[in-house]
Amino acid sequence: MFASRAQPVASVLSAGVQTRNMGTLREIQLRLNAIKNIGKITKSMKMIASTKVGKAQRAMESARVYGSSSASIYKNANTVPLENEDKVYIVSSSDRGLCGGIHSSVAKATRRMMAADGASSNVIVLGDKAKNQMSRTNRGDIQLSFNQIGKAIPTFAEACAAADTIKTSGVKFDTATIVYNEFTSAIAYEATPINVYSPEALKAADAFAAYELDDEVLENYNEFLFANNIYWGLVEGHASEMSAKRTAMENATKNAGEMVDRLTMTYNRSRQAAITSELVDIITGASAL
Amino acid sequence: MNFLARSVRAVRPVRMVRSYATEAASAGLRLTFAVPHQTIFKDVSVTQVNIAAVSGDMGILASHVPSIEQLRPGVIEVIEAAGSKKFFVSGGFATMNPDSSLNINAVEAFPVEEFSAETVRHNLAEAQRQSNSASTEEEKLAAKIEVEVLESLQAAISAK
Repeated sequence: MFASRAQPVASVLSAGVQTRNMGTLREIQLRLNAIKNIGKITKSMKMIASTKVGKAQRAMESARVYGSSSASIYKNANTVPLENEDKVYIVSSSDRGLCGGIHSSVAKATRRMMAADGASSNVIVLGDKAKNQMSRTNRGDIQLSFNQIGKAIPTFAEACAAADTIKTSGVKFDTATIVYNEFTSAIAYEATPINVYSPEALKAADAFAAYELDDEVLENYNEFLFANNIYWGLVEGHASEMSAKRTAMENATKNAGEMVDRLTMTYNRSRQAAITSELVDIITGASAL
Repeated sequence: MNFLARSVRAVRPVRMVRSYATEAASAGLRLTFAVPHQTIFKDVSVTQVNIAAVSGDMGILASHVPSIEQLRPGVIEVIEAAGSKKFFVSGGFATMNPDSSLNINAVEAFPVEEFSAETVRHNLAEAQRQSNSASTEEEKLAAKIEVEVLESLQAAISAK
């Protein structure tokens, strides 16, 4: 944000410094104050994000174990999607900005997957920013959107409510792909899909026959898996977002600090040039006497 | 044949529930027991796990038949070499895999010792009152579920 604006301003300033006069000193001072304030704001936002990252990461560890153990059935049974299944993409993001490339990362990955599919699929977005991103290219495909996401660590109750709303909303789908940002490290995240297979695909999986299961339990099991995967995507996405926000605010503070240094130098040089020219006037005037 | 094999297996360990199972298989039973906000056991080697499933109580040892069971509100007992621990779960699923690993995913689970009988009694009375005075079908159902969970919890606390 700040880096892209700094370059043109600095070049203008250094080009015009020769013709500077007292009037622009005030301008530089105003700009200096503004940037110092912005630097304070981004610094405090960085500290808030740092404390949130710790908590979010701990929640993510539990959610990861919970979600991956619950979804391990897909791997163990060698589940693959059946032919001609209606697909829905669930883009998991949040309402808040100032977090780097989080929202565009999931949106780009979803668009890429949709393009690889060929046919158009339905899209459900979790979070206003995700809605904005997906509306740019796939406005017609968005069937459902959720907001009030990202203020706090997502709870299982919220994931259940979302899963319930999706199931009862009438959006037709057999298999779902939840796209979220996987927390690969404190400074890196990657958009990753979680596949939620349909009950039919699970039943047709080759290793699934080994499992004993009452039929009425299968539908409950599927809904349970759906909610679990949404929960996992939301919590890990939240952790990635907090860490990206911390990094973004840290960079912003650093850039603001650099701008302040550069502007202070310019300010001092202008001030000294103004004093020098005044002195020169006085001295030439005095020597003329 | 499958059904018979399962019912035989389900019955035998339940009768032995008070005793520690002998080294059943070479691999051993590996348990992962998680709730959304907390991991209670992660890939831990245990001897036996007793679960309260919708289809009935069952004890799971290593090399149990792979199955997926829906859990009803009740007690899950984990028997390790060191001792046994009891947890009350509100519901969830238990998946026994062919490689002797057991995944239990519950919505909420807490050690039975941590519940206070007084609070449970109070909440149960409250829930019963609500289920009688509920207006919509949905509210009635929600209150009935709450009553069922609390009654099971009360039984679990007093049984210990």
